[in-house]
Amino acid sequence: MVKDIERITDTIWELPTSYRDGMRVPARIYATEKLLQAVDEAVFEQIANVATLPGITQRAFCMPDGHSGYGFPIGGVAAMDIEQGGVISPGGIGFDINCGMRLVVTNLTYDEVKPHIRALVDRLYERVPAGVGSRGFIKISKEEFKRVAEQGARWAVDSGLGWPEDLELTEESGCIEGADADTISDRAVDRGYNQIGTLGSGNHYLEIQVARPENMLDSELAHAFGINIPNQIVIMFHCGSRGFGHQVATDYLQAFLRVMEPKYGIRILDRELACAPFDSPEGQAYFSAMKCGINMSFANRQVILHRIREVFAKVFGRSAEDLGMHMVYDVAHNTAKLERHKVNGHMRALLVHRKGATRAFGPEMNGIPERYRHTGQPVILGGSMETGSYLLTGVAQGAQTFFSTAHGSGRTMSRTQARKQWRGQDLQREMASRGIYVRSASWRGIAEEAGGAYKNIDDVVHACAQAGLSRPVMRLSPVGNVKG
Amino acid sequence: MSHDVRTPLTLITGPLGSGKTTLLRYILATLPTKIAILMNEFGELAIDSRIIQGKNIQLMELGGGCVCCSLLGEFDAAVREIIDTAKPELIVVETTGLAEPDALVFDIEDALPQVRLDGVVTVMDADAMTRYPQLGHTTRMQIEAADVVLLNKTDLISAQALDEAGTQIARINKRAPILPIRQGKVDPALLFGIGHDRMIAPPRHTHQPEFGSFSYVTEQLLDRPCFERLMADLGDSVYRAKGFVRCREASYLFNFVIGRLTLEPFEAKTTELVFIGTELEQHKDTILAALQQCEEGN
Repeated sequence: MVKDIERITDTIWELPTSYRDGMRVPARIYATEKLLQAVDEAVFEQIANVATLPGITQRAFCMPDGHSGYGFPIGGVAAMDIEQGGVISPGGIGFDINCGMRLVVTNLTYDEVKPHIRALVDRLYERVPAGVGSRGFIKISKEEFKRVAEQGARWAVDSGLGWPEDLELTEESGCIEGADADTISDRAVDRGYNQIGTLGSGNHYLEIQVARPENMLDSELAHAFGINIPNQIVIMFHCGSRGFGHQVATDYLQAFLRVMEPKYGIRILDRELACAPFDSPEGQAYFSAMKCGINMSFANRQVILHRIREVFAKVFGRSAEDLGMHMVYDVAHNTAKLERHKVNGHMRALLVHRKGATRAFGPEMNGIPERYRHTGQPVILGGSMETGSYLLTGVAQGAQTFFSTAHGSGRTMSRTQARKQWRGQDLQREMASRGIYVRSASWRGIAEEAGGAYKNIDDVVHACAQAGLSRPVMRLSPVGNVKG
Repeated sequence: MSHDVRTPLTLITGPLGSGKTTLLRYILATLPTKIAILMNEFGELAIDSRIIQGKNIQLMELGGGCVCCSLLGEFDAAVREIIDTAKPELIVVETTGLAEPDALVFDIEDALPQVRLDGVVTVMDADAMTRYPQLGHTTRMQIEAADVVLLNKTDLISAQALDEAGTQIARINKRAPILPIRQGKVDPALLFGIGHDRMIAPPRHTHQPEFGSFSYVTEQLLDRPCFERLMADLGDSVYRAKGFVRCREASYLFNFVIGRLTLEPFEAKTTELVFIGTELEQHKDTILAALQQCEEGN
């Protein structure tokens, strides 16, 4: 642990601006003492570097599940004041643009689903392609793909792949405004147009979970979010913009490196933090291209939801409507969004970078569905496939981080280290003995996602709750998993 | 000629804009062998040529039997497809500047028995190192994975800045030699081992004066355990060694790059070895004497 860090509370730690030359604001790390001890050292360096970026407002933040990443740590949050020279940085958003979570309820109980769990997982595995280069069943032209990039989940629902209510229950109603497909490269289109409806690889997954009564933490909120039967079955999945988002990030990192210093005189400590002024032509072009990534990802999750409904309907011989397969919410992880927040008593227009962090708007805030006006926005926190996940909600105290919270458990070791430590075959067998049936495109994919490669999700949620970033509603336990 | 020899694969990694594609062009122009290049996108290498659509790769013919492939599917499936369709003597994989190479190294060693990892070459931009005082997370991982670091664009910086850049890299990776280069020009003999096309050329000294080499030829059989012990205890002065080794039980194709030794059954009439490294003059006689000790009958 670094020596200059100050304890603000039991779960808030601060690196003062004196920690490093050039820091414009302090950097805060949210973590219990135990989590802080486990944070890799690079995270402190990275979040301090983020605090040097032009236009950063108030503080740089790292969420309790933070770990080191390209430029920003994963779990990094930074709000840039666009009227004060604020920048936009692809390294603060991540390559898997709008990688995010979607949660769907059913009116089925675990007892009803248990005999069919293998059939469900096997069929989901067939219908939602997983793996690095997986291609989807949606066959569209490159021109049509550009419409997907501009219209997001709305494109999918208009094409009959979803219900109108799904849009209302998606961040940005499933389509962020201002996505212009002219700002994306042909190569990005090439990499994305046949990947709609695919899970991808890495930490992406689709999980059947049980809401056990003993794991209910706030029954009133759980009820408001549609969880109201003991041992109710829900489906959670995590995926993003696939190769498309990755290419958008690559394209603009290269473009920014060319202009950052010569044209805009921005000097940075680490070139992985390449950025451009938000209001520059390059910054605006990336902002639009990134929004295309956001929309592609919303469309991807919408199509996957449609497949899930089809599979459940087929296996149970009842319609998805009859099975009550309503969405709880869809949240984005890797984004930069223009939001208005109060800074020193004044409303400011801020570009909030959330990389591996979830927006967590509190009650009565604009931008959340009407039905959640009094509860706050649902927050979906994906744990490792072995240990379980959480449903939380946004709270008013979230203003301290511009309403941002954790996004998952956070890795404690690299994928390669995990693969050296576990064997996929053994893990699958061991999980089966605990009642969790896993299918994966590769054995090593399973090994990479071993529970032991992650921080304890209970600790992460505890830190979020304690620090006032979000409030836990329900812990969800896995019973079936399609691993990307 | 033996055909069961594994195909050597070299990973080229390094941050965005460090000169990986320029290096590839230079390798293609100077290395007279059948190379397959696997990259994220054809990019600057693209020339008007026929593109063949495969399952896991798109393949483009470059002439002289060389091909350039862009990755569509899973990495290991793509490599298998390249071996099956193009039958190259050598595969070079150019990773994107954003890639963390340790996972690829693991994939190659774990899932591709038909491939021998010949080396990880990390290209660094010396000029960028002077302009950005810190090395990023991904860049560090790329340096850590290196068997050799090519410090490119050295013509743009002062001698002192070059020293500092070298020190900074060496702090992250102590084992890998650091080669200052310009415009991606490096003697391919330093980068590649030996495959079944039997290219054993020692380095040409043109761009890397600090590197030396010596060879060893004998008609005698070598004792394999003795030879393996010798290679294991070689120390840091030898960066790469390659050639043919004849032992009583079989003869082998031999490749060594900072600590990684491979011996593959291969037909050879004599033992012929080349050692490449820095400050070799001090160690040459000791190594030659030790090799003689491994000759049968000694």
